[in-house]
Amino acid sequence: MTNRAIRGGVLRLITDEEIERIHTSSLEILEQVGIQVKSSRITRVFRDGGAEIDADAERVRIPEYLVREALSKTPSRIMLCGRSPRYDVCLEKNRIYFGMGGTPTPFIRDVETGEFRRPTKKDFADATRLGDALPNMSFLMAISGVFDVPYQTEYLHEYEVMFSNTEKPIIYPAPGSVAAKGVLEMATAISGGMDELRRRPILSLYVETVSPLVMFGPDETFIDGAEAGIPITLGPGPIMGAAAPGTIAGTVLVANCENLAAMTLTQLVKKGAPIIYTCGCSTMDPRTCRVLYGAPELTMGGAVIGAQLARYYGLPCFGWAGVTDSKVPDAQAGAEVMMTSLLNALAGINLMHDCGYLASGSVGSMEMAVICDDIAGMVSRIVRGVDINDETLAVDLIRSIGPGGNFLGEKHTLEFIGREIFLPKILDRTDHITWERRGRKDIGQIARERVKQILKEHNPQPLPKDVQEKLSLIVKKCEKELVAAEK
Amino acid sequence: MATSAVLDEVVDAVLSFDSKRVTEATRKALAQGIDPVKIIEEGLAKGLRIIGKKFEDGELFIMHLIAAAQPVQKVTAELLQPEISKSKVSRKVLGKVVIGTVAGDIHDIGKNIVAAMLLAMGFEVYDLGKDVAAEVFIKRASEVSADIIASSALLSTTLPVQHEIVETLVKRGIRDSFKVMVGGAPVTEDWANEIGADGYGVDSVDAVRVAKRLLRVAEQGELDDE
Repeated sequence: MTNRAIRGGVLRLITDEEIERIHTSSLEILEQVGIQVKSSRITRVFRDGGAEIDADAERVRIPEYLVREALSKTPSRIMLCGRSPRYDVCLEKNRIYFGMGGTPTPFIRDVETGEFRRPTKKDFADATRLGDALPNMSFLMAISGVFDVPYQTEYLHEYEVMFSNTEKPIIYPAPGSVAAKGVLEMATAISGGMDELRRRPILSLYVETVSPLVMFGPDETFIDGAEAGIPITLGPGPIMGAAAPGTIAGTVLVANCENLAAMTLTQLVKKGAPIIYTCGCSTMDPRTCRVLYGAPELTMGGAVIGAQLARYYGLPCFGWAGVTDSKVPDAQAGAEVMMTSLLNALAGINLMHDCGYLASGSVGSMEMAVICDDIAGMVSRIVRGVDINDETLAVDLIRSIGPGGNFLGEKHTLEFIGREIFLPKILDRTDHITWERRGRKDIGQIARERVKQILKEHNPQPLPKDVQEKLSLIVKKCEKELVAAEK
Repeated sequence: MATSAVLDEVVDAVLSFDSKRVTEATRKALAQGIDPVKIIEEGLAKGLRIIGKKFEDGELFIMHLIAAAQPVQKVTAELLQPEISKSKVSRKVLGKVVIGTVAGDIHDIGKNIVAAMLLAMGFEVYDLGKDVAAEVFIKRASEVSADIIASSALLSTTLPVQHEIVETLVKRGIRDSFKVMVGGAPVTEDWANEIGADGYGVDSVDAVRVAKRLLRVAEQGELDDE
């Protein structure tokens, strides 16, 4: 029943000794420099837990023993569940899963016109439905946003849409306490109770610290998530040369400190709170200051070294796939998507998110998601590897066919060929004459047609009517609270 | 030593990204009795403009821009501004900009980059930091008689604060006293129009262009004084 995916690689960029150096440097920074905490609720947890607090400087210094104790309590494997159990994913060791989207995008590339525009609640529903249908996407985030609602309430509407339009596991942010509580209330309504939700968590809360080394109000979600026992995905965002030193090593170090601080916080709230490690090593083009997703350094530091660190700590991990800085599904997009996807998979990142992002994460694209799905299939095929045994070597068969013969109609061929070769859904493999006869379609056009077809045909199991109504009520209630807080 | 040679030393010091050298060259220029406004315009600001141009051309990085702007800001505040205040001579700047990251948000890397760029290109910049309420933007802008109020938002949930800045200015009847600029990852031209802001910059280079346009500063010939 559970989607027990293939094991990725254990690719290494640095030695165990070098990993150890990142770890000890992190302990030094947490103990001596500390982190800035701009939330009294978070500070209180650290204070009660034994951290050293400098209230005037909003500084929390975390001694080594607290980090060690916290690490000893974190689970090494986490089940993240779908609304339907056939989509449950098992985060352990180096099992790999691809996921569509990330945090909400302020723009979407219109499927009909190719224009970049503000996404609506309907776009979000369509994108989620698409992700639900894509065979290689095992969990969902966003390739859209919801901008036709009051800005403060964006995330609540997005959750409502996601819960309603997919049966797959969801990883998503719920910044701030009101949003976090609202979202947990929605999830509880779907699961049928808090205990049931804890036993089968249908979402993981994605929480970003602010690099370098800062937590603020919206990070109180760490506390709400840990209290509820919902898996928390850590999201540090150091940008090399801006919010971190101008080196991969220094950027990874800042990210690791934020991971350890957040991990410690969650364990102080609740022993054994499930958390998912994310390294992060954002790169920006120093000529334009644009943060990049398709840059090799993100994959090297954030994914490969990140996976090494996660293994060192014995934590499930989160990384990237299908990301690009290109604005359209073109050759650049293909190259960058394949690079991130393949290397993350070879590194053994459990959850690889962002499939379907364009323009460095500011634009969501359903066509790109469909293309990424095929690339994810290819990557999974590569990572699955090659079986070498008597059956696959087929010495006897080669002997019996002999030189000059062929293997076309052999039973052995029929038996193996289907599973040995990955067949893409949309990558065009025809000859150039057939391609011309079929209207000279490029990958973007083929992807667009597949998006439309899926949206026409695919409908996930809807939520029961009473649950659906409950979700709307929760959104309305939180909306009131958030809009009132603004005034 | 000729005035021009001393000022060239100031320019060279700025181009060296060495804070100590900038301070020394500025001190030397002051000791020679050169007018502090002149030291800024023909020394420090000129050096920054050269760096700004090289950044625009892709030769230098944002890090260079910031590394150059920091010591200039420091010597201006510590050594030159006190002298200028004494002499009551007014200094020529492209315009005064009050800038900050809006309340509820503490992502300030983008704002810092825009602030450094504006400074490097000859604006006087008042950086209010992060998590800044609409009220604080307006108060500070009034105090320093700013030309532009510029706000940045990364979290889409904090976008309404940019709206609030414009609304508050309108309510107080001082909307025409300032140009309002907005920026940040989720910000668009449409959003700027919707809330009645005057300008939107897609990145730091664009922000400078827009700021100049709003204050009707000529786009060409900034380096003509070389």
